[in-house]
Amino acid sequence: MIVSPGSFLRVGILLLLAVMLQLSGLSQLSILGGHVDVLVLVVAAVSYYGGSVAGCATGFAAGFLLDLASGATMGVSSLVLTAVGYGVGRFREVRDPSHGLLPVAVAAAATGGFVVAFAAVSFMLDVGASVSPLVIRDAIVTTLLNALLALPVFTGVRRLLRPALKVDPLELRRRRRPPRETGPLGLRGLEV
Amino acid sequence: MYDSKVVRRRRAALAVFVALSIAVLTAYFGESGGGFFHALQRGAQEAFAPIETGASRALKPVRDLFGWAGDTFDAKKENKDLRSEVERLRAALAEAQTAQRDATQLRGLVGLKEEDGFPRGTAPIAARVISRSPTVWYSSIHIDKGESDGVRVNQPVIAAGSDPDAGEVGGLVGKVTSVTAGTAEVTLITDASIGVGAQVMPSGATGVVRPAVGNPRDLLMEFVEGGRVTENTTVATSGFTIAKGESLFPRGIPIGRVSKADLNEVDIYQRVHLKPYADLKSIDIVQVLTRRGTASQTAGVGLP
Repeated sequence: MIVSPGSFLRVGILLLLAVMLQLSGLSQLSILGGHVDVLVLVVAAVSYYGGSVAGCATGFAAGFLLDLASGATMGVSSLVLTAVGYGVGRFREVRDPSHGLLPVAVAAAATGGFVVAFAAVSFMLDVGASVSPLVIRDAIVTTLLNALLALPVFTGVRRLLRPALKVDPLELRRRRRPPRETGPLGLRGLEV
Repeated sequence: MYDSKVVRRRRAALAVFVALSIAVLTAYFGESGGGFFHALQRGAQEAFAPIETGASRALKPVRDLFGWAGDTFDAKKENKDLRSEVERLRAALAEAQTAQRDATQLRGLVGLKEEDGFPRGTAPIAARVISRSPTVWYSSIHIDKGESDGVRVNQPVIAAGSDPDAGEVGGLVGKVTSVTAGTAEVTLITDASIGVGAQVMPSGATGVVRPAVGNPRDLLMEFVEGGRVTENTTVATSGFTIAKGESLFPRGIPIGRVSKADLNEVDIYQRVHLKPYADLKSIDIVQVLTRRGTASQTAGVGLP
């Protein structure tokens, strides 16, 4: 990801919008006992397209904003989202995936990791009360909902970040297409 | 592959942000409520409040839409749950009401046997009513006790009153007219074929109690002899024979209370209306008196 004031601005606005949307809208929409966690999706998408460094920075900023706005214990979301951003970014860097549906799996893994890690950190910090087994159901539902929303969110984030990306993932995918076997003679055997 | 500089940068970034997070976490936990991060949080919340308010209003239709959909699903499930609960409660209520009704009638039967003058040693057998005759002309019931339980034809049958707590302890309801091994038919005193030798207490006037067909709340005492009958006096089986043969009813079983006593100038006998003690319209439990008891006098039964 190209580090520039423009990219900072884009990511900052994106995170602010995501936090507001999360707190004012999505957190209040209970679907089958869970809710969409769009902030995790945004962090995962930025990390997916921007890499591990951009991912952990975005994760930290997103968590910081979320804790600030929600009044939760500061640092918890930052810590967990930093790890999520870094993990997704590293996956992208190491595997260099190109399948169009991969964001679904990435979003599910990122959300699952986030809810598990967040629960673990919360347990370690200040949860003294008994915990209902329903949190497991909520975590599963949230993961599934995020997986369903992954493609539109990842597409939107990619479009927003395209000017700041060193390599457009769509360009990469186009370059990997097999050579044409049909068409004008002059194009056969060429990667077009 | 990446060069070492990129790797170091990447690891450094991770370490920095993790360290920052832990530092923020530690500082947040360590400081008081008026500390830097708490103050920052409050300031941020104040700053975000208008945005959140606006966003919340803007997203309200979406929330309402999802809420409506969710409420619809919830309402369907809730409706189903409530229906099953209503069914369960209805069944429980019916069971409780039945039990209460049975208890009331059994209490009435116990009270009836403890009444003064009620024949002793009658060996009553409690039985449950299993069917009723559908017409007013043939007033009978079937009970779930029969010959194998000691029930025999012509044994008297008693039942509790409608309100034992108010003194309506119950009284005679009829006699056994047919019996099988497990069931018996009881012809009620409201049946047109029944007549019971009766005596007004304490005046001693005697007569025959017959039904007013169609009105189970009213009995008629006919052929009254031996004195004037006044209202609100008790009528019980007399133990006198009014036909050839041994009387079916031992002396002292309450029948009813005098509700109206007429004396027409042209009539030889006084016409007396009784309100039966037993709740003949809704009998659930009866007792068959399988022994005659110790009363010295018995009442006759049959058409006068």
